[in-house]
Amino acid sequence: MPSIFRRTHWATALGATFLLTLGACSGGGDGGESADDPITVGISLPLTGDFSEPGKGVQQGYEAWAKIVNDRGGLLGRQVELKILDDQSSADRVVADYEQLIGSDQVDLVVGPFSTRLVVPAGRVASEYGMLFVEPAGAANEVFTQGFKNLFYAAPAVAQDHYNHLATYILALPADQRPKTVAYAAMDDPFAQGTAYGLKAKLEAGGIKTVVDEVYPPNTTDFGSIAAKIAASKADMVVGGSQYQDGVNLIVALQQLRYQPKMAAFSTAPTEPEFAKAIGNKTEGILSPTGYSQDAPYPSNKEFVEKYTAQFGKAPEEDQANAYTTGQVVEAAVTAAGCAEQGECQQKMIDWVHANKVETVVGPLTWDATGKPQGAHMIQQWIGGEIKIVLPDATKEAALLYPKPAW
Amino acid sequence: MPSGGLLLQSIILGLLLGGLYALLAAGLTLYFGIMRVVMIAHSAFLILAAYLAWWCNERLGVDPLLSLLVTVPLFFGAGVLLQRMLLSRLRAATLTMMSVLLTFAIALIIEGLLGYAFSGTQRRIQLGYGSASFGLFGARIAVVKLIAFGLAVVALGSLYLLMKRTSFGWALRATIQHPDAARLVGIDTERIAGFGFGLGLATAAVGGTALSLDTTIYPSLHWHWIGPLMAIIVVGGLGSVPGAAAAAMLLGLGQSLLQIPMGTTWAQTVFYVALFATLAFRPQGFFGGRLAQRF
Repeated sequence: MPSIFRRTHWATALGATFLLTLGACSGGGDGGESADDPITVGISLPLTGDFSEPGKGVQQGYEAWAKIVNDRGGLLGRQVELKILDDQSSADRVVADYEQLIGSDQVDLVVGPFSTRLVVPAGRVASEYGMLFVEPAGAANEVFTQGFKNLFYAAPAVAQDHYNHLATYILALPADQRPKTVAYAAMDDPFAQGTAYGLKAKLEAGGIKTVVDEVYPPNTTDFGSIAAKIAASKADMVVGGSQYQDGVNLIVALQQLRYQPKMAAFSTAPTEPEFAKAIGNKTEGILSPTGYSQDAPYPSNKEFVEKYTAQFGKAPEEDQANAYTTGQVVEAAVTAAGCAEQGECQQKMIDWVHANKVETVVGPLTWDATGKPQGAHMIQQWIGGEIKIVLPDATKEAALLYPKPAW
Repeated sequence: MPSGGLLLQSIILGLLLGGLYALLAAGLTLYFGIMRVVMIAHSAFLILAAYLAWWCNERLGVDPLLSLLVTVPLFFGAGVLLQRMLLSRLRAATLTMMSVLLTFAIALIIEGLLGYAFSGTQRRIQLGYGSASFGLFGARIAVVKLIAFGLAVVALGSLYLLMKRTSFGWALRATIQHPDAARLVGIDTERIAGFGFGLGLATAAVGGTALSLDTTIYPSLHWHWIGPLMAIIVVGGLGSVPGAAAAAMLLGLGQSLLQIPMGTTWAQTVFYVALFATLAFRPQGFFGGRLAQRF
């Protein structure tokens, strides 16, 4: 891999030279930025490779944000222009991309790519250049243990906190109604496993017994044996730390065994549009945490759903919403700082985001010192063939059904 | 100690899984028996058949089982062509090794084309009876798994009858046992080998359809299958169809039962442990004699 390293070094050297030149220029009083220049936002996204599908979703979210901002007259009176590179889902490429965007392309702002695997290396580059780095994906714990001071995750909560509202709800139930035993099955993946284990830690601390704790590799396609274990344990509640297909497969396998828990919660899968059809519409009572709902009553959300639908012909999903949220956070920081360029302005924006609350399509967001958001996900439940928000009380559309009806 | 109910359920799941392994391994061992070819692309064809079944269901709205009417003859033809046009041109001295390279390339091509045509998204056939099941002594048998097992049994049974009761089967077995002698008694071994190859690939068509009924498919899934299948045919004794079937049932059952104490990740290792044990203690396999005496 020497060529990649060399390229990176070249890019760094080139970037440094550019920065110095720029510094010299502005020192000379001959400021390059004029008031009507567009604000360029540099982004590297996995448009091909492993993460291409969510990558494209994130791209649409960013494009929707740029269009909505520009239709409104731009940021600080300047139009927003996106510069998007394809990192092919590769961590090497993502580093080179951000070096290029910041160093040679001289973008004014950068925002994050998709997935933890790419967010961490990209965040490191942004951090070296002192750039504000808001990112739409990268919920795993390792993102927040790197010592980044410039990174912010633009979503309500990290994986471990997704189920917080549900944990509070369960532990508040009278002792004789509470589920007494829980079976957990989680994919061997930091995000999916994080959601299930976050809930597990809270329920175990509350005295609720774990009877099955299964971890399966991401390539698992046959869930018969895992389902057999869960069904044989007769657990009152089942929790799946799932992505999409594994969640579907596990639920179908459980239904094949006629397992009927009092409560069933799965991450990600139940919020996908094809979910109900995929499991033959036997969705009754399934719970799922969600970072985003098209029906959430936050003020900017209505505008987003309307305009997004007009632009792309369908309603936005979570990936799009997270990218849009990222845009909203950057927008708020730029407006507050009154500037959008490399240099001191970035630190001004970083300090502002650390100290303030931002209203977004996923609700009001605040962050701790590591950039970890301080909220929890909403909990949705399938009721009568529709998925509805049931927790927290402030945003709920229906009351949580417990014990769940048979599926 | 797992409860009796879980044990029975796991045994049932293991047998159902073993049936599918048996069918797939039968095809794989057939290629080796006929012409000492290691067919890495076997599981790629399996996934291809699964995709065709999925496509039939998703786009044409027909039951995936009906896709067999098209895929079985299609794969048979493809197998014959593959053997006659490509594999028979490899030099006999390096046949086994070169066949690995050649079929590896074919597997990559199929995987790439599947990804190009259907994207890398995981797919699953959505059947009305997908979660239907019936009880048996307290355990439950899923209808789709039983159909898959039934397909495997019927296909293996037909293969057995074909090999034992028809003159084509005799000619095929003669070709496997001693090609030179077979030629001396007037068998066109080249043609028979082609048909044998087609037969092997036809098992992949049936297996793929069976597989698609109850699992998720994605283009690179075949790498997940080829390892266990290779292990099965080595344990069963290369070239022996009954040996492959017996090893498949045993290892499928072993995998299913080991999942109870070890979990999904480690239970997969049963295939490789069995492979190492076979190579170390009984390289000719546990269920067959010398290759020439098979069947």
